[in-house]
Amino acid sequence: MSEPAFNHEALLQAVRDLPVDSLTASRRDAANLFVARGFPTVRDEDWKYTDLSNVIEISQQSLQVASAPAAIDEDLLRQTQANLDAHWIVIANGKVLEQHSPGTNIPGVQSGSLQKTDLAIDEPLADLNLALLRDGLKLDICAEFAPDKPLGLLFIDTVENAVASTHARVNISLERNANARIVEAHVSSGPAQHYSNCVLHLDLAEGAVCEYLRLQDRATNHSQTARLNVSLKRDSSLHHGSFDLGGRLTRNDLNVAIQGRNATARFNGLYIVADGQHVDNHTKVDHLVGPAISQQEYRGVLSGHCRAVWNGKAIVHKGADGTDATQANHNLLLSDAAEIDAKPELEIDADDVKCAHGTTVGQLDERALFYLRARGISKPDAKRILTRAFAATIVNTSPISEAHEFLGGQVEERLRTIDDGRQS
Amino acid sequence: MLDIKDLQARIGETEILRGLTLNVKAGEVHAIMGPNGSGKSTLAQVVAGHEDYEVTGGSVQFKGKDLLELAPEERAREGIFLGFQYPVEIPGVNNAYLLKAAVNAKRQHQGLDEIDAFEFLKLAREKMALLEMDPKFLNRGVNEGFSGGEKKRNEILQMAMLEPDLAILDETDSGLDIDALKAVANGVNALRSPDRAIILVTHYQRLLDYIEPDFVHVLSAGRIIRSGDKSLALELEKKGYEWVREAANA
Repeated sequence: MSEPAFNHEALLQAVRDLPVDSLTASRRDAANLFVARGFPTVRDEDWKYTDLSNVIEISQQSLQVASAPAAIDEDLLRQTQANLDAHWIVIANGKVLEQHSPGTNIPGVQSGSLQKTDLAIDEPLADLNLALLRDGLKLDICAEFAPDKPLGLLFIDTVENAVASTHARVNISLERNANARIVEAHVSSGPAQHYSNCVLHLDLAEGAVCEYLRLQDRATNHSQTARLNVSLKRDSSLHHGSFDLGGRLTRNDLNVAIQGRNATARFNGLYIVADGQHVDNHTKVDHLVGPAISQQEYRGVLSGHCRAVWNGKAIVHKGADGTDATQANHNLLLSDAAEIDAKPELEIDADDVKCAHGTTVGQLDERALFYLRARGISKPDAKRILTRAFAATIVNTSPISEAHEFLGGQVEERLRTIDDGRQS
Repeated sequence: MLDIKDLQARIGETEILRGLTLNVKAGEVHAIMGPNGSGKSTLAQVVAGHEDYEVTGGSVQFKGKDLLELAPEERAREGIFLGFQYPVEIPGVNNAYLLKAAVNAKRQHQGLDEIDAFEFLKLAREKMALLEMDPKFLNRGVNEGFSGGEKKRNEILQMAMLEPDLAILDETDSGLDIDALKAVANGVNALRSPDRAIILVTHYQRLLDYIEPDFVHVLSAGRIIRSGDKSLALELEKKGYEWVREAANA
């Protein structure tokens, strides 16, 4: 398949048209780097199953449309904030909305703009993100940070009739022994197509502890690529939970670099993928030193004509002895037209390591179905119960426990849509 | 209550039940014994409605209804309970949730309102005490990480909550230590009543020391080859299954 042509000259012009500020030189460098490499294609090993044609088209068209961004969907904003209690920072169509962002002003958080030194990520979509970045946010979280509720990052995109794309970037640093709970939510609305390109960086200094919940519930005609790069120093600990419930095409790259001894990275994910959706989770953990622990479990429920990808890579570098790395990916396929490409990868260059991985792809357990039916529960109800139980395992072990009820409700709503689709 | 006539069933191409006839009346306890592969578990699964088994001949009437016409869930709601030989672990489904859903499915079938939450808890705790089960098992995933004995007690708990007309207990004694066996037997004996029938499927006589059957049947190659009272079980224990088979062939 040939990718749609992307007009690099239009990109360079768009970058030149952005207001001059401290990032101007970095944007131009990034634009040149991007132009040299272009969008990833299915010929790239890491993008084998995710075709960005639609994203390229949206990017191209949104460069040509000079219209101002649409007004923010205030209802969606309020609803999201009501559902998840947090000290919010709202990034609307790529710009921080000061009046909706009390989270930048709570004790223990220092917020500022991204500087040139904060920006280096060697990856084409990160280059594109930087080239078109309007507002980069930097959050430093101090050890005294101890709010009553999580810090929230709400990415909200609204479109009307014009195709649009958004490039947002946030760097979060937890200083030594800081303890932070963070919620990252992505929502969108509007009839036109939209592409969101998010790049986040999370640094945990020595002894820092972070619970991090990411929820993506964008409109099913909107696409997103999102990268989170994490670095973990000695004795730090990250518990990350990732939920993909919406979106047309979603690609997540979660890269974790374990740079200090006794660091722990635990990350779980759930994707519920229905007709017409595509969700790709690529995770990579670099164990640079040991001992350290990384554990991940992703689960997916797939229905209708859809595709999901899970690629979990753990690299145990030379000398990272005492590494304990486990990866698991389980998928429930509720339709014959659903496709999952699941691939665990282990590269081990150290001697004293404990690594395990497992993936499963299948239907509901027939034995469990019969067991429930033998207790008087109807077949459709038994299927519903087992599908929910499959997903609940991830909800119940995800970070930010006070969000579990809301998450469970969202998951239930998505699964109910799938149930309805299957009955018709 | 249960009237099985000339029942034939197979799984895939393998014939397992080859003309089994059994009549069970309310108030009776029947023990079905037999060597491995004789069709004991198949009989239990076919009566419960497992779809892997194909019934190729004969009939099964339950309380005057054609049981073979009913889906497994309809059989359960009509009052049939199968205690599984290998209870299934279902992580993510709370034990209390399953119990309540099962009780309510039956109540709905009977035209009754859903069970009150307080009433449910009271009843569950009462039954668990009888089975010497820790109430914390209510909040665990169904059979998740349970020991063999805990799984079997959990089966009997479900039975006690559902109060079936006919309980078929498939190898409920297998893998139980003596304390668990006694607890399970207590649970079963507590349910004995003139309105209820129980079928114990077992390989060994041991269970019958604790739950005294009215009838004992020996199954071999998919047919009942001998029936008697509880003394038959003792005789089997002494002489082995080969003795009945030879006697039947003679």
